[in-house]
Amino acid sequence: MNSSMHKHAPRKRSATEPIESLLGAEDTGSPRSKRPAATVIGVIFVLGRACAGVLWLTAFTLLWPEIAREVELETEIRPAVYSIFLVGGLIGVLLLVVLGIAIWRGSNLARVLVMLGLTLSISVAAIGYFANGEEITIRTTLLTVALDIIVLLALSSRDARAWARSSSRRRAAPRPRR
Amino acid sequence: MAPKRRFSLLAVLDEFFFVFAGIAAVWLAWLLLTESFRTGWWGIPVFIAFWGLLAYLVLPRIHRVLTTIYVPDYFIGRTRTSDGLLGDPINLALQGDEDAVHRAFENAGWRRADPVTLRSSWRIIVSTLTRRSYDEAPVSPLYLFGRMQDFAYQQEVEGNPAKRHHVRFWRTPVGWLLPGGARVDWLAAGTFDRAVGLSLFTLQVTHKIDADTDIERDHIISSIRSSNPAAVLEVLRDFSTGYHSRNGGGDSIRTDGDLPILDLTKSGRRA
Repeated sequence: MNSSMHKHAPRKRSATEPIESLLGAEDTGSPRSKRPAATVIGVIFVLGRACAGVLWLTAFTLLWPEIAREVELETEIRPAVYSIFLVGGLIGVLLLVVLGIAIWRGSNLARVLVMLGLTLSISVAAIGYFANGEEITIRTTLLTVALDIIVLLALSSRDARAWARSSSRRRAAPRPRR
Repeated sequence: MAPKRRFSLLAVLDEFFFVFAGIAAVWLAWLLLTESFRTGWWGIPVFIAFWGLLAYLVLPRIHRVLTTIYVPDYFIGRTRTSDGLLGDPINLALQGDEDAVHRAFENAGWRRADPVTLRSSWRIIVSTLTRRSYDEAPVSPLYLFGRMQDFAYQQEVEGNPAKRHHVRFWRTPVGWLLPGGARVDWLAAGTFDRAVGLSLFTLQVTHKIDADTDIERDHIISSIRSSNPAAVLEVLRDFSTGYHSRNGGGDSIRTDGDLPILDLTKSGRRA
Protein backbone atom coordinates (compact mmCIF):
# COMPACT_ATOMS: atom_id res chain seq x y z
CA MET A 1 0.00 0.00 0.00
CA ASN A 2 2.82 2.20 0.95
CA SER A 3 4.47 1.86 -2.41
CA SER A 4 1.31 2.84 -4.29
CA MET A 5 1.06 5.98 -2.18
CA HIS A 6 4.59 6.83 -3.15
CA LYS A 7 3.76 6.43 -6.81
CA HIS A 8 1.03 9.07 -6.66
CA ALA A 9 2.88 11.54 -4.47
CA PRO A 10 4.52 14.39 -6.39
CA ARG A 11 8.16 13.63 -6.99
CA LYS A 12 10.40 15.63 -4.74
CA ARG A 13 14.07 15.75 -5.33
CA SER A 14 15.98 14.30 -2.40
CA ALA A 15 19.66 13.91 -1.79
CA THR A 16 19.30 10.18 -1.11
CA GLU A 17 18.44 9.44 -4.70
CA PRO A 18 21.12 7.41 -6.43
CA ILE A 19 23.65 9.86 -7.72
CA GLU A 20 23.19 8.77 -11.35
CA SER A 21 19.57 9.84 -11.43
CA LEU A 22 20.31 12.96 -9.41
CA LEU A 23 22.84 14.26 -11.86
CA GLY A 24 21.34 13.01 -15.10
CA ALA A 25 23.11 10.78 -17.57
CA GLU A 26 25.24 13.46 -19.21
CA ASP A 27 26.21 15.11 -15.95
CA THR A 28 27.77 12.18 -14.08
CA GLY A 29 31.21 13.67 -14.46
CA SER A 30 33.61 12.61 -17.15
CA PRO A 31 33.38 8.86 -17.73
CA ARG A 32 36.47 7.28 -16.26
CA SER A 33 38.19 6.50 -19.48
CA LYS A 34 41.63 6.47 -17.92
CA ARG A 35 42.83 3.18 -16.48
CA PRO A 36 43.18 3.54 -12.69
CA ALA A 37 46.49 2.75 -11.00
CA ALA A 38 44.92 -0.16 -9.11
CA THR A 39 44.10 -1.91 -12.39
CA VAL A 40 47.60 -1.31 -13.73
CA ILE A 41 49.19 -2.77 -10.57
CA GLY A 42 46.86 -5.78 -10.69
CA VAL A 43 47.74 -6.52 -14.32
CA ILE A 44 51.49 -6.13 -13.69
CA PHE A 45 51.36 -8.70 -10.89
CA VAL A 46 49.17 -11.12 -12.86
CA LEU A 47 51.65 -10.98 -15.76
CA GLY A 48 54.50 -11.25 -13.23
CA ARG A 49 52.96 -14.48 -12.01
CA ALA A 50 52.91 -15.74 -15.60
CA CYS A 51 56.64 -14.92 -15.91
CA ALA A 52 57.33 -16.73 -12.65
CA GLY A 53 55.43 -19.69 -14.13
CA VAL A 54 57.70 -19.70 -17.20
CA LEU A 55 60.79 -19.62 -14.95
CA TRP A 56 59.39 -22.46 -12.89
CA LEU A 57 58.72 -24.54 -16.03
CA THR A 58 62.26 -23.87 -17.29
CA ALA A 59 63.78 -24.94 -13.99
CA PHE A 60 61.49 -27.95 -13.98
CA THR A 61 62.62 -28.96 -17.48
CA LEU A 62 66.32 -28.63 -16.56
CA LEU A 63 65.92 -30.60 -13.33
CA TRP A 64 63.47 -33.15 -14.70
CA PRO A 65 65.96 -36.05 -15.21
CA GLU A 66 67.09 -35.69 -11.61
CA ILE A 67 63.56 -35.42 -10.21
CA ALA A 68 62.42 -38.45 -12.20
CA ARG A 69 65.35 -40.49 -10.83
CA GLU A 70 64.63 -39.40 -7.26
CA VAL A 71 60.97 -40.36 -7.27
CA GLU A 72 61.93 -43.62 -9.04
CA LEU A 73 59.64 -43.15 -12.00
CA GLU A 74 59.77 -45.95 -14.55
CA THR A 75 61.69 -44.97 -17.68
CA GLU A 76 58.93 -45.66 -20.21
CA ILE A 77 56.32 -43.39 -18.58
CA ARG A 78 58.74 -40.52 -17.89
CA PRO A 79 58.04 -38.59 -21.15
CA ALA A 80 54.28 -38.89 -20.57
CA VAL A 81 54.45 -37.55 -17.01
CA TYR A 82 56.76 -34.76 -18.12
CA SER A 83 54.47 -33.66 -20.93
CA ILE A 84 51.48 -33.63 -18.57
CA PHE A 85 53.34 -31.22 -16.27
CA LEU A 86 54.57 -29.14 -19.20
CA VAL A 87 51.19 -28.86 -20.94
CA GLY A 88 49.42 -28.14 -17.64
CA GLY A 89 51.95 -25.45 -16.77
CA LEU A 90 51.79 -23.87 -20.21
CA ILE A 91 47.99 -23.78 -20.11
CA GLY A 92 48.21 -22.07 -16.70
CA VAL A 93 50.70 -19.48 -17.98
CA LEU A 94 48.65 -18.87 -21.11
CA LEU A 95 45.49 -18.43 -19.03
CA LEU A 96 47.21 -15.86 -16.81
CA VAL A 97 48.47 -13.93 -19.86
CA VAL A 98 45.04 -13.95 -21.51
CA LEU A 99 43.29 -12.87 -18.29
CA GLY A 100 45.90 -10.17 -17.64
CA ILE A 101 45.45 -8.71 -21.13
CA ALA A 102 41.65 -8.92 -20.79
CA ILE A 103 41.77 -6.98 -17.49
CA TRP A 104 44.05 -4.42 -19.10
CA ARG A 105 41.50 -3.93 -21.88
CA GLY A 106 38.70 -3.50 -19.35
CA SER A 107 36.99 -6.90 -19.09
CA ASN A 108 34.99 -7.13 -15.86
CA LEU A 109 34.53 -10.90 -16.19
CA ALA A 110 38.29 -11.49 -16.38
CA ARG A 111 38.76 -9.35 -13.28
CA VAL A 112 36.19 -11.39 -11.34
CA LEU A 113 37.70 -14.69 -12.54
CA VAL A 114 41.18 -13.67 -11.39
CA MET A 115 39.79 -12.53 -8.02
CA LEU A 116 38.06 -15.92 -7.69
CA GLY A 117 41.37 -17.70 -8.27
CA LEU A 118 43.17 -15.44 -5.81
CA THR A 119 40.48 -16.01 -3.18
CA LEU A 120 40.89 -19.78 -3.53
CA SER A 121 44.67 -19.54 -3.30
CA ILE A 122 44.52 -17.27 -0.22
CA SER A 123 41.90 -19.51 1.42
CA VAL A 124 44.08 -22.59 0.94
CA ALA A 125 47.03 -20.79 2.56
CA ALA A 126 44.85 -19.52 5.41
CA ILE A 127 43.39 -22.97 6.10
CA GLY A 128 46.90 -24.43 6.14
CA TYR A 129 47.99 -21.73 8.57
CA PHE A 130 45.06 -21.78 11.00
CA ALA A 131 43.95 -25.43 10.84
CA ASN A 132 47.19 -27.29 10.15
CA GLY A 133 49.63 -24.89 11.80
CA GLU A 134 51.77 -24.48 8.67
CA GLU A 135 54.38 -21.75 9.04
CA ILE A 136 54.15 -18.74 6.72
CA THR A 137 57.46 -16.88 6.92
CA ILE A 138 59.70 -15.02 4.51
CA ARG A 139 61.57 -18.25 3.90
CA THR A 140 58.44 -20.16 2.94
CA THR A 141 55.35 -18.72 1.26
CA LEU A 142 54.94 -15.25 2.81
CA LEU A 143 55.85 -13.47 -0.44
CA THR A 144 53.35 -15.45 -2.53
CA VAL A 145 50.56 -14.93 0.00
CA ALA A 146 51.40 -11.21 0.29
CA LEU A 147 51.32 -10.72 -3.50
CA ASP A 148 48.04 -12.62 -3.81
CA ILE A 149 46.43 -10.42 -1.16
CA ILE A 150 47.79 -7.17 -2.61
CA VAL A 151 46.55 -8.07 -6.12
CA LEU A 152 43.14 -8.96 -4.66
CA LEU A 153 43.04 -5.60 -2.83
CA ALA A 154 43.97 -3.78 -6.05
CA LEU A 155 41.51 -5.56 -8.32
CA SER A 156 38.62 -5.34 -5.83
CA SER A 157 39.11 -1.61 -5.18
CA ARG A 158 36.31 0.82 -6.06
CA ASP A 159 38.44 2.46 -8.76
CA ALA A 160 39.25 -0.80 -10.53
CA ARG A 161 35.66 -1.95 -10.25
CA ALA A 162 34.11 1.25 -11.55
CA TRP A 163 36.49 1.37 -14.50
CA ALA A 164 36.04 -2.28 -15.46
CA ARG A 165 32.26 -2.04 -15.24
CA SER A 166 31.97 1.15 -17.24
CA SER A 167 34.37 -0.05 -19.92
CA SER A 168 32.58 -3.41 -20.14
CA ARG A 169 29.33 -1.52 -20.58
CA ARG A 170 30.85 0.80 -23.14
CA ARG A 171 32.05 -2.15 -25.18
CA ALA A 172 28.71 -3.93 -24.87
CA ALA A 173 26.64 -0.90 -25.84
CA PRO A 174 27.45 -0.50 -29.58
CA ARG A 175 26.82 -4.17 -30.30
CA PRO A 176 23.07 -4.02 -31.18
CA ARG A 177 23.60 -1.15 -33.60
CA ARG A 178 26.10 -3.07 -35.69
CA MET B 1 17.21 -10.22 -19.60
CA ALA B 2 20.05 -12.65 -19.19
CA PRO B 3 22.93 -10.16 -19.26
CA LYS B 4 21.28 -8.04 -16.55
CA ARG B 5 21.07 -11.02 -14.24
CA ARG B 6 24.67 -12.01 -14.76
CA PHE B 7 25.70 -8.45 -14.00
CA SER B 8 24.06 -8.43 -10.58
CA LEU B 9 25.67 -11.79 -9.70
CA LEU B 10 29.01 -10.21 -10.57
CA ALA B 11 28.08 -7.26 -8.36
CA VAL B 12 27.41 -9.55 -5.39
CA LEU B 13 30.69 -11.38 -5.99
CA ASP B 14 32.41 -8.01 -6.18
CA GLU B 15 31.14 -7.00 -2.74
CA PHE B 16 32.29 -10.34 -1.37
CA PHE B 17 35.80 -9.92 -2.79
CA PHE B 18 35.93 -6.35 -1.48
CA VAL B 19 35.29 -7.49 2.10
CA PHE B 20 37.31 -10.70 1.79
CA ALA B 21 40.35 -8.75 0.55
CA GLY B 22 40.03 -6.51 3.63
CA ILE B 23 40.00 -9.48 6.01
CA ALA B 24 42.88 -11.15 4.17
CA ALA B 25 44.88 -7.92 4.40
CA VAL B 26 44.37 -7.81 8.18
CA TRP B 27 45.75 -11.35 8.34
CA LEU B 28 48.71 -10.36 6.15
CA ALA B 29 49.43 -7.39 8.44
CA TRP B 30 49.46 -9.76 11.40
CA LEU B 31 51.82 -12.16 9.56
CA LEU B 32 54.19 -9.27 8.79
CA LEU B 33 54.09 -7.99 12.37
CA THR B 34 54.97 -11.36 13.90
CA GLU B 35 57.61 -11.87 11.21
CA SER B 36 59.22 -8.49 12.02
CA PHE B 37 59.84 -9.62 15.61
CA ARG B 38 61.37 -12.88 14.47
CA THR B 39 63.94 -11.83 11.89
CA GLY B 40 66.38 -9.68 13.88
CA TRP B 41 67.69 -6.68 11.93
CA TRP B 42 65.61 -7.67 8.92
CA GLY B 43 62.67 -6.89 11.16
CA ILE B 44 63.10 -3.15 10.55
CA PRO B 45 62.27 -3.14 6.80
CA VAL B 46 59.59 -5.76 7.45
CA PHE B 47 58.12 -3.47 10.09
CA ILE B 48 58.13 -0.53 7.65
CA ALA B 49 56.37 -2.78 5.14
CA PHE B 50 53.87 -3.58 7.90
CA TRP B 51 53.19 0.14 8.47
CA GLY B 52 52.82 0.78 4.71
CA LEU B 53 50.40 -2.10 4.36
CA LEU B 54 48.41 -1.00 7.41
CA ALA B 55 48.26 2.70 6.52
CA TYR B 56 47.71 2.54 2.77
CA LEU B 57 45.85 -0.74 2.22
CA VAL B 58 44.36 -2.29 5.36
CA LEU B 59 42.93 0.66 7.31
CA PRO B 60 41.52 2.41 4.21
CA ARG B 61 39.79 -0.82 3.18
CA ILE B 62 38.35 -1.36 6.67
CA HIS B 63 37.13 2.25 6.80
CA ARG B 64 35.67 1.89 3.30
CA VAL B 65 33.67 -1.18 4.34
CA LEU B 66 32.48 0.25 7.68
CA THR B 67 31.72 3.83 6.57
CA THR B 68 29.53 2.46 3.77
CA ILE B 69 27.39 1.10 6.58
CA TYR B 70 27.41 3.88 9.16
CA VAL B 71 28.14 7.25 7.50
CA PRO B 72 25.03 8.91 6.04
CA ASP B 73 25.30 9.40 2.29
CA TYR B 74 23.16 12.51 2.04
CA PHE B 75 24.16 16.14 2.48
CA ILE B 76 25.12 16.96 6.07
CA GLY B 77 27.46 19.84 5.32
CA ARG B 78 30.54 17.64 5.34
CA THR B 79 32.69 16.21 2.58
CA ARG B 80 33.95 12.63 2.66
CA THR B 81 37.44 11.27 2.04
CA SER B 82 38.14 8.55 -0.51
CA ASP B 83 37.86 6.06 2.38
CA GLY B 84 34.36 7.34 3.18
CA LEU B 85 35.36 9.12 6.40
CA LEU B 86 33.87 12.53 7.16
CA GLY B 87 36.24 15.15 5.74
CA ASP B 88 36.53 18.94 5.70
CA PRO B 89 33.34 20.94 6.41
CA ILE B 90 31.44 22.68 3.62
CA ASN B 91 31.81 26.33 4.63
CA LEU B 92 31.18 28.39 1.51
CA ALA B 93 28.59 28.58 -1.27
CA LEU B 94 28.81 30.44 -4.56
CA GLN B 95 26.49 31.67 -7.30
CA GLY B 96 27.66 32.04 -10.86
CA ASP B 97 28.90 29.99 -13.79
CA GLU B 98 32.23 28.20 -13.82
CA ASP B 99 34.01 30.99 -15.71
CA ALA B 100 32.92 33.55 -13.11
CA VAL B 101 34.36 31.41 -10.31
CA HIS B 102 37.65 30.94 -12.17
CA ARG B 103 37.93 34.66 -12.93
CA ALA B 104 37.13 35.72 -9.37
CA PHE B 105 39.73 33.44 -7.80
CA GLU B 106 42.41 34.18 -10.40
CA ASN B 107 41.85 37.93 -9.90
CA ALA B 108 42.31 37.42 -6.16
CA GLY B 109 45.69 35.74 -6.61
CA TRP B 110 44.66 32.14 -6.11
CA ARG B 111 46.21 29.39 -8.23
CA ARG B 112 44.23 26.49 -9.63
CA ALA B 113 45.49 23.12 -8.33
CA ASP B 114 46.69 20.56 -10.89
CA PRO B 115 44.81 17.27 -10.98
CA VAL B 116 46.54 14.34 -9.25
CA THR B 117 48.48 12.52 -11.96
CA LEU B 118 51.78 10.64 -12.12
CA ARG B 119 53.38 13.76 -13.53
CA SER B 120 52.12 16.16 -10.85
CA SER B 121 52.97 13.64 -8.09
CA TRP B 122 56.50 13.50 -9.45
CA ARG B 123 56.64 17.31 -9.43
CA ILE B 124 55.59 17.36 -5.77
CA ILE B 125 58.44 15.00 -4.84
CA VAL B 126 60.97 17.02 -6.84
CA SER B 127 59.80 20.38 -5.48
CA THR B 128 59.85 19.07 -1.91
CA LEU B 129 63.37 17.71 -2.29
CA THR B 130 64.72 20.81 -4.03
CA ARG B 131 62.68 23.12 -1.76
CA ARG B 132 61.30 24.93 -4.77
CA SER B 133 57.75 26.17 -4.67
CA TYR B 134 55.00 24.46 -6.66
CA ASP B 135 52.10 26.91 -6.74
CA GLU B 136 49.72 24.56 -8.53
CA ALA B 137 50.41 21.49 -6.37
CA PRO B 138 47.43 19.11 -6.47
CA VAL B 139 45.12 18.68 -3.48
CA SER B 140 43.86 15.33 -2.23
CA PRO B 141 40.42 14.27 -3.44
CA LEU B 142 37.41 14.86 -1.22
CA TYR B 143 33.92 13.73 -2.16
CA LEU B 144 30.52 15.43 -2.12
CA PHE B 145 27.40 14.18 -3.92
CA GLY B 146 29.38 10.99 -4.48
CA ARG B 147 32.01 12.62 -6.66
CA MET B 148 35.39 14.24 -6.40
CA GLN B 149 35.77 18.02 -6.32
CA ASP B 150 35.40 19.64 -9.74
CA PHE B 151 38.45 21.82 -9.16
CA ALA B 152 40.43 23.43 -6.36
CA TYR B 153 42.28 26.68 -5.76
CA GLN B 154 45.16 27.37 -3.42
CA GLN B 155 47.54 30.01 -2.12
CA GLU B 156 51.01 29.05 -0.99
CA VAL B 157 52.41 30.44 2.22
CA GLU B 158 55.76 31.90 1.35
CA GLY B 159 58.66 29.47 1.47
CA ASN B 160 56.80 26.69 3.20
CA PRO B 161 55.41 23.76 1.20
CA ALA B 162 53.77 22.32 4.33
CA LYS B 163 51.46 25.32 4.74
CA ARG B 164 48.87 26.53 2.26
CA HIS B 165 45.39 27.92 1.88
CA HIS B 166 43.16 25.74 -0.23
CA VAL B 167 39.53 25.49 -1.25
CA ARG B 168 37.73 22.74 -3.17
CA PHE B 169 34.61 23.27 -5.32
CA TRP B 170 31.66 21.06 -6.22
CA ARG B 171 28.94 21.97 -8.67
CA THR B 172 25.57 21.22 -7.05
CA PRO B 173 23.23 18.86 -8.96
CA VAL B 174 20.59 20.52 -11.14
CA GLY B 175 17.57 21.55 -9.06
CA TRP B 176 19.18 20.59 -5.77
CA LEU B 177 18.39 22.80 -2.76
CA LEU B 178 20.35 23.40 0.42
CA PRO B 179 18.68 22.37 3.67
CA GLY B 180 16.32 25.29 4.27
CA GLY B 181 15.56 25.71 0.58
CA ALA B 182 18.22 28.07 -0.79
CA ARG B 183 19.53 27.27 -4.26
CA VAL B 184 23.27 27.71 -4.92
CA ASP B 185 25.42 26.79 -7.92
CA TRP B 186 28.56 25.74 -6.08
CA LEU B 187 29.54 24.44 -2.67
CA ALA B 188 33.09 24.77 -1.43
CA ALA B 189 35.25 23.60 1.44
CA GLY B 190 38.15 25.86 2.45
CA THR B 191 40.76 24.83 5.02
CA PHE B 192 44.28 25.87 5.91
CA ASP B 193 47.05 23.24 5.84
CA ARG B 194 49.32 24.07 8.76
CA ALA B 195 51.76 21.13 8.86
CA VAL B 196 52.52 17.64 7.62
CA GLY B 197 51.75 14.76 9.98
CA LEU B 198 50.19 11.35 10.36
CA SER B 199 46.47 10.84 9.95
CA LEU B 200 44.78 9.67 13.14
CA PHE B 201 42.48 7.23 11.35
CA THR B 202 44.70 5.69 8.69
CA LEU B 203 48.27 6.51 9.92
CA GLN B 204 49.04 7.90 6.43
CA VAL B 205 51.31 10.88 5.90
CA THR B 206 49.00 13.83 5.31
CA HIS B 207 48.48 17.56 5.82
CA LYS B 208 47.12 18.64 9.20
CA ILE B 209 44.57 21.45 8.97
CA ASP B 210 44.00 24.43 11.20
CA ALA B 211 41.16 23.71 13.62
CA ASP B 212 39.39 27.06 13.21
CA THR B 213 37.94 26.63 9.72
CA ASP B 214 36.03 29.93 10.05
CA ILE B 215 39.30 31.89 9.77
CA GLU B 216 40.02 30.28 6.39
CA ARG B 217 36.44 30.81 5.25
CA ASP B 218 36.63 34.52 6.10
CA HIS B 219 40.08 34.79 4.48
CA ILE B 220 38.70 33.42 1.21
CA ILE B 221 35.76 35.81 1.26
CA SER B 222 37.81 38.89 2.06
CA SER B 223 40.38 38.07 -0.63
CA ILE B 224 37.63 37.63 -3.24
CA ARG B 225 35.73 40.74 -2.22
CA SER B 226 38.76 43.00 -2.15
CA SER B 227 39.67 42.12 -5.76
CA ASN B 228 36.12 41.66 -7.09
CA PRO B 229 34.14 44.63 -5.74
CA ALA B 230 30.98 43.60 -7.61
CA ALA B 231 30.75 40.29 -5.72
CA VAL B 232 27.71 40.28 -3.44
CA LEU B 233 27.88 38.56 -0.07
CA GLU B 234 24.93 37.05 1.69
CA VAL B 235 25.29 34.98 4.86
CA LEU B 236 22.99 32.19 5.97
CA ARG B 237 23.38 32.69 9.73
CA ASP B 238 23.51 29.49 11.75
CA PHE B 239 23.11 27.39 8.63
CA SER B 240 24.40 24.51 10.72
CA THR B 241 24.74 24.59 14.47
CA GLY B 242 28.14 25.61 15.70
CA TYR B 243 30.08 22.41 16.25
CA HIS B 244 33.42 20.86 16.74
CA SER B 245 34.34 17.58 15.22
CA ARG B 246 37.20 15.89 13.41
CA ASN B 247 37.99 15.75 9.73
CA GLY B 248 39.13 12.70 7.74
CA GLY B 249 42.68 12.96 9.03
CA GLY B 250 41.54 13.15 12.64
CA ASP B 251 42.27 16.90 13.00
CA SER B 252 39.80 18.74 15.16
CA ILE B 253 37.67 21.36 13.44
CA ARG B 254 35.27 23.93 14.82
CA THR B 255 32.94 26.41 13.21
CA ASP B 256 30.20 28.85 14.17
CA GLY B 257 27.94 27.28 11.53
CA ASP B 258 27.40 30.31 9.28
CA LEU B 259 27.34 29.66 5.53
CA PRO B 260 28.30 32.66 3.37
CA ILE B 261 27.01 32.75 -0.20
CA LEU B 262 29.20 34.71 -2.63
CA ASP B 263 27.23 35.91 -5.64
CA LEU B 264 29.60 36.28 -8.59
CA THR B 265 26.99 36.63 -11.32
CA LYS B 266 27.39 40.40 -11.49
CA SER B 267 31.15 40.50 -11.08
CA GLY B 268 31.70 38.01 -13.89
CA ARG B 269 31.85 40.39 -16.84
CA ARG B 270 35.29 41.78 -17.43
CA ALA B 271 35.41 45.57 -17.78
